[in-house]
Amino acid sequence: MSDAASSPSGALRQPDRLLILSVFVVASCGLAYELIAGALSSYLLGDSVLQFSSIIGCYLFAMGVGSHLSKYVDDQDVLARFIDIELLVGLLGGLSATLLFLLFAWMSAPFRSVLYALVFALGVLVGMEIPLVMRVLHTRQASFSELVSRVLTFDYLGALVVSLLFPLVLAPRLGLSRTGFLFGMANVAVALWTLWHYRADLPRLRGRLTRGVLVMAFLAAGLATSGQLTAWAERGLFGDEVIFATTTPYQRLVVTRWKDDTRLYINGNLQFSSRDEHRYHEALVHPALESLPWARSVLVLGGGDGLAVREVLRHGHVERVTLVDLDPAMTGLFSRNAELAALNGGSLSDPRVSVINADAGRWLEEHGEVFDLIIADFPDPSSFGLGKLYSVPIYRLMARHLSENGALVVQSTSPWFAPRSYWCIDATLREAGFHTHPYHAHVPSFGEWGFNLATRRPGFTPPTHYSVPTRYLDADTTRLMFQFPPDMRALPVEANHLNSQALVHYFEQDWRNVVR
Amino acid sequence: MQRRRFLGLGAATGMAAALPACRQLEHLGIPISVLRPGMVEGHRLRDAAPLPPATREIRTGVAILGSGIAGLTAAWRLARAGHTDFLLLDGPEPDGNAAAGTQEGVPHPRGAHYLPLPSLESRVVREILREMGVIEDAPFAARPRYAETVLVHEPDERLWFEGQWCEGLLPTAHVDADEAAQLHRFMDEMARLQDTRGADGQRVFTVPLALSSADPGWRALDAQTFGHWLTARGYTAPSLLAWLDYVCRDEYGAGPERISAWFGLHYFASRGGHAANARDGSVLTWPDGLAPLARHLRTSLAPGCQRAGMAWRIDESPHGVSILASDADGPFRILAERAICAMPLHVSARIVPDMPARGFDPARHAPPLSPWLVANFLLDGFPAEAGDVPLAWDNVIHGSPGLGWVVATHQWLRAARPPRTVFTAYRALADRSPADARRWLESASAASLYEMASEELRRVYGGPTLWRLTRAVEITLRGHGMACPVPGTLSNAGLGALRQARGRLLFAHADLSGYSVFEEAAHWGDQAAQKILAG
Repeated sequence: MSDAASSPSGALRQPDRLLILSVFVVASCGLAYELIAGALSSYLLGDSVLQFSSIIGCYLFAMGVGSHLSKYVDDQDVLARFIDIELLVGLLGGLSATLLFLLFAWMSAPFRSVLYALVFALGVLVGMEIPLVMRVLHTRQASFSELVSRVLTFDYLGALVVSLLFPLVLAPRLGLSRTGFLFGMANVAVALWTLWHYRADLPRLRGRLTRGVLVMAFLAAGLATSGQLTAWAERGLFGDEVIFATTTPYQRLVVTRWKDDTRLYINGNLQFSSRDEHRYHEALVHPALESLPWARSVLVLGGGDGLAVREVLRHGHVERVTLVDLDPAMTGLFSRNAELAALNGGSLSDPRVSVINADAGRWLEEHGEVFDLIIADFPDPSSFGLGKLYSVPIYRLMARHLSENGALVVQSTSPWFAPRSYWCIDATLREAGFHTHPYHAHVPSFGEWGFNLATRRPGFTPPTHYSVPTRYLDADTTRLMFQFPPDMRALPVEANHLNSQALVHYFEQDWRNVVR
Repeated sequence: MQRRRFLGLGAATGMAAALPACRQLEHLGIPISVLRPGMVEGHRLRDAAPLPPATREIRTGVAILGSGIAGLTAAWRLARAGHTDFLLLDGPEPDGNAAAGTQEGVPHPRGAHYLPLPSLESRVVREILREMGVIEDAPFAARPRYAETVLVHEPDERLWFEGQWCEGLLPTAHVDADEAAQLHRFMDEMARLQDTRGADGQRVFTVPLALSSADPGWRALDAQTFGHWLTARGYTAPSLLAWLDYVCRDEYGAGPERISAWFGLHYFASRGGHAANARDGSVLTWPDGLAPLARHLRTSLAPGCQRAGMAWRIDESPHGVSILASDADGPFRILAERAICAMPLHVSARIVPDMPARGFDPARHAPPLSPWLVANFLLDGFPAEAGDVPLAWDNVIHGSPGLGWVVATHQWLRAARPPRTVFTAYRALADRSPADARRWLESASAASLYEMASEELRRVYGGPTLWRLTRAVEITLRGHGMACPVPGTLSNAGLGALRQARGRLLFAHADLSGYSVFEEAAHWGDQAAQKILAG
């Protein structure tokens, strides 16, 4: 490149060429903030198509507003304003991801408003950048055609680089918060560099320089501590560090870990803690399966974490386990993720197990297979939709899938916290023609938890020994499990019918009385 | 300004400018299909288009013309009695008002969508329900036991009142004490009427209507409108009147100011069905409305007993009944010993040339018919609900010209909400004369039909939300949807004459009762079959 100070052909002086390079950085940063906001909102709110397109739309529109506003900047102030805007973009954009994350962790109500306000503000500022750069260069006599071509080339080039780097390197390696800080620092670096190069043309140099250095230091500190900040925010939500999170069409799955305690949350509700889940799953599976030594086939409904299946597979006489869980993301996670598959002992990949991703209600209606044991491990009946899974018709439907001497075990909420719900499930099973054998176990992370073992024929006796290795169950524990002390005695409640949904009403009342 | 930015800005300002013009865009990109069952055939009849001569001939014992509930019940009764020499000719719309459709695996109604718990007198309906397994126990007792899967599941209904949802269809908890007192007084009076008997010892109001008391004192109520009766009884509370207006339009396709007082009371006092395992006022419903009942009635028929086709002319002679009909292969003639004309009376009036000689003068006796619109919105997921009252099966808007919507997937037994659902919105075009409404329906564009059909959904969920979730809309227009029981219906001599028909040609349709419900259609279908079985 020739170095002609004011070449009529329009070639640029070196500082101006560097200014063009800074366009590349500025464009990269602009796109990065847009991608961060889109990714963060689809990560936190779900429905990624909607989130991404509304964020992009809002951002582009705001950029238009910014471009329009740029004409109100006086010619002599252009350079100074450009530097101010760079500092502001750096600060706001750099902080955006962390700010939104912290906000979501503590209050979800104004999240959307803040998100769009932030995106709009960033868009306006970023929209002013390029017009201002072009005016800076134009006043320095670069020819207009050359100018437009170069600025736009670098603008688009920056966009390309970031659009590839963001999903492939930055988001997975650095995370959204750190990526934000990094690009914020790049914006501030452009400001500082411009400031230094045009120091002769700029008034109040010292003040500007101080401000720039302060913002840079602030962002650097943010970058260094963002790991802690994010973990802190997630702890605000879940109490522990989040090691995996995804939003599926059906639910939001979050796996957390603190020391050796791995926990699964579905829609914010604790499903298990690896410290005591063995109590829950041993109690769910072994009392029934130990008393069915001839059982060959087992159906597990729900329970996509594979932990109940793990316990089932301990019984060598079981030849075939069918797991029906709604969400392929859930069963996929617990069969492919090495850490989580270690929790269930790789049960979902066992050759005896077939995993079916289907709606349990629909699957029961459409298939005719008969099983020796059915384990219904559904979420608590907190809505009218879920209440249907604990109704007389669904238990009658399950009875049709059960061999004559088989058993059905139902996760039945807590007889301590939700006694009416617990005994309502018992009444429902009896109404559906089952003989019921209610029992309970203490699972520290849930409290006192309830189950029900239902058989089509009378005469069940709890097992007095276990042929499989257990950590929690033995003869004495089992005997106590099937006894209810006076403060947990059966209550006279209605059965859960579809046309009354008594269970959902009981459940709501029960939990309203519990101080959690 | 850069091109990218310019385009972004342009798109945004374009959207903003388009917002006021959104009415045009409401259905943009949403496929709308409009069904007009029977319209082409009906207009051919009306215009008396000349018929080509028949080239084929079919002989049968009994020809049943029309496969709505009346025709299906007649065929079912004959088949159950071992009488197999009959032919059921479908007519332009198989299953009539019980017809249903399916969109992307979600079955939904195209007409009627529920059955109240049958009264003690509805023996035919109870017999059908027992055969289907819907009545599990004590089919003819005061409180039969019903299959729970068919009883409407909780939550069954809710009302949009002053910008929010409340449970139930009566805003009792949201109005002042005077209005609430009137609501209660009305409900008490209706409860008393349920057990009231006429001088002849019969219940005053029954379903089927034919079994109601003949006491002239009570039947005199048929001389005035329901609106008049309400005013005379001091029922003036706006919330009560708005609710009654909804009930009358929902049941009869017209408001209290048009329908007979006897029929207005009949709705409240005649049902009185109870169940061993459901509260009073509960209903039976299926995902696809009443279509499963029609399907069940068909299962009793041998395949050879039913065929597609439409009757164009019926002539009775001393030797039999000759019917000119046509199907996809062209015109044919059915020679039957007897026939049951199981079609709406306004169609019979065009097909049977000697109706006046049978005592039915179409000009004087044909019941007015209310036009209906049934719109099925196939949705990608469920819209977010405002407030704590969850989506119910029946969702009604207080004081709105529409009749709300039912959720086709409500009765599904599923672990999770299905990814797609259908909301079926109903509307009786009661705000203009039936003739005007039919003229409007005939020429209305898909866009204006959509606008009318979606009015309530847009009001509750917002236009953009509905637009975003709607995958397709199917609108069924029933220009002559159902008979409207105006004053004088009970003493309509033409209807009486057709009910009494004893010759080779019999009549069976809910129209014979002057209003359109499953129970009446089943009753008249059964009556016609009984006459044939009696010889």
